[in-house]
Amino acid sequence: MSKLTIEETPLDFAESIINDIKSSKENGVLKCVQCGMCTSTCPAARHSDYNPRDMIQRVLEGDMSIVEDDSIWNCFYCYTCHSICPVGNSACEVNQILKQFAISKGINIDKISQYSEFGDSYLTKAIGGIPSVFFDDIREDVGEDWWEFKLNLDNVRDDLGLAPVYPPQEVIDEVGTLLVNCGFKERLDKIKQADNNSDLEINDVCESCDSLESKELCASCNKKVADSKESN
Amino acid sequence: MSQNKNKEILENPSEKVKEVPDSNILENPNGKVKEVPDSNILLFKSCLVSVEYPGIESSTCFVFDKLGIDYFVSDKQTCCTGLGHYSDIFDQFTTTVLGARNFSLAKTLERPNLVMLCATCYAINKKVANILNNKDDVRERVNDVFEESDLSDLKFEKGDLDSSANIFHLVDILYNKKDEISKHIKYDLSKFKIATHHGCHYCKVHYDDTIGGVRNPMILDDLISACNCETIGWYDHKRTTCGSGFRQRYSNKDLSMDVTKDKLMALKKDDVDILIHLCPNCHVQFDRYQNLIAEQSGEEFKTIHLNIAQFLAIAMGADWNSVVGTQTHTIPIDSIIKLDELEEITNNNCDNEDSVDDKGGN
Repeated sequence: MSKLTIEETPLDFAESIINDIKSSKENGVLKCVQCGMCTSTCPAARHSDYNPRDMIQRVLEGDMSIVEDDSIWNCFYCYTCHSICPVGNSACEVNQILKQFAISKGINIDKISQYSEFGDSYLTKAIGGIPSVFFDDIREDVGEDWWEFKLNLDNVRDDLGLAPVYPPQEVIDEVGTLLVNCGFKERLDKIKQADNNSDLEINDVCESCDSLESKELCASCNKKVADSKESN
Repeated sequence: MSQNKNKEILENPSEKVKEVPDSNILENPNGKVKEVPDSNILLFKSCLVSVEYPGIESSTCFVFDKLGIDYFVSDKQTCCTGLGHYSDIFDQFTTTVLGARNFSLAKTLERPNLVMLCATCYAINKKVANILNNKDDVRERVNDVFEESDLSDLKFEKGDLDSSANIFHLVDILYNKKDEISKHIKYDLSKFKIATHHGCHYCKVHYDDTIGGVRNPMILDDLISACNCETIGWYDHKRTTCGSGFRQRYSNKDLSMDVTKDKLMALKKDDVDILIHLCPNCHVQFDRYQNLIAEQSGEEFKTIHLNIAQFLAIAMGADWNSVVGTQTHTIPIDSIIKLDELEEITNNNCDNEDSVDDKGGN
């Protein structure tokens, strides 16, 4: 009986993806038949050069340059490919894992550094929030009514009979300890250090909530920095 | 028999939910029977609901109260990390540690049934539960972090909480009570053209555990039927993402808006008045950015955007400012729904053909 020996090295890349904490599909990548259903139904493929079928092919070929490819950053994480793959692969999960590989290698860090405020917000208030670096754009795109609502959020929540957005201090402290001990704080600090874009520097401290913030509205407490400074 | 079955599949590719006669038991598209709770519920707060559309939370409480659902909201529960997680800032291990902490809280409160207001909270928490139950090495590392932090009482033991049996979305709970919903409808909203947007992270992530199908998701459409209304059903791009794509909305805006426009154009073609949502992130994408897309493309869009809980609350007669929270919306709700023009329906009429007598007991 003849025996076909497959070069194992290229599959090491696929194996490292299968063994990743995010991977929920046992051997999913190895089952890919390159049918292209993922690309056919992908919203990013419809409107950009992202091609999930090609991404999986490159993974199976051991082509690690895919980690540096800008196109993987166009995935919407909509999981359409994941839900429709006939052999139970998940291009969407593979994409997320490739991005984590990129981050751990310091590749394309500028693509996530703007989002570091999610981490700051969790560390200081135990809840995520849209990073304030985007607020000027949102105000321009959505309009001043949105901005007024954000400034008035506490009153609106009060009218709706809802409790404050943020958990009590002992919860914030507990979560803060966990974020240090699970390595997240260190990860976040490294991401910030790796970023050289001066536009994204986080400069000011909102003194009323002791949170780092950038522009004029603190993402954590939704107060204007000017107000909090005046009150101090 | 098999011919009939084939006919049913052809006519109804939606893998429609089958109901088993006993209350609280629903069957998912794969034939897996699951019990949907109506008590011991921890209603899980969502960061985007809290700061963008808080009326979704107050509407849910209003509707749950009407339906006699036993729930509790805890100030000790923290956010699922979703927005940061899918912007790739949070790693899966950190998300798993924080998820395990919330699961421990649910256990301590003796409310092991977690109910999500947001599709991403739903997907994230189900994945965290699967990882904690199935990846022994990760669970051990998570428990090591708790021990190191002097928080050993947070430790997760295998089987403490199950992804399928304990983690639900608001729509699952409502679907289980849809006969009861029909009895509480005050206003006739049947004159509006209604379509549904099911939220990818509800339907597509844990697709083998989702009630109401994934290829043509119908759970929201069926809930609208319980309000004496009909949706338009299938439409072009019904399955398509809202286009937020997490980072895409902010870092890749043209791409994001192109995808959202695909869907808005499909809704326009079908002359849709109201789009029903189950996820606050989709809600932000459509409600906040519809005017921008209209301006940039020269199109006009009239569709308003309501979460299913807000739609039910309006249909049940809730106050718009103190319950539904319409004041936080960008596309004004009263541009389509004029409260003073709505007709009340009598109790006799609102018991539609699907409704049944009080089953008694539970």
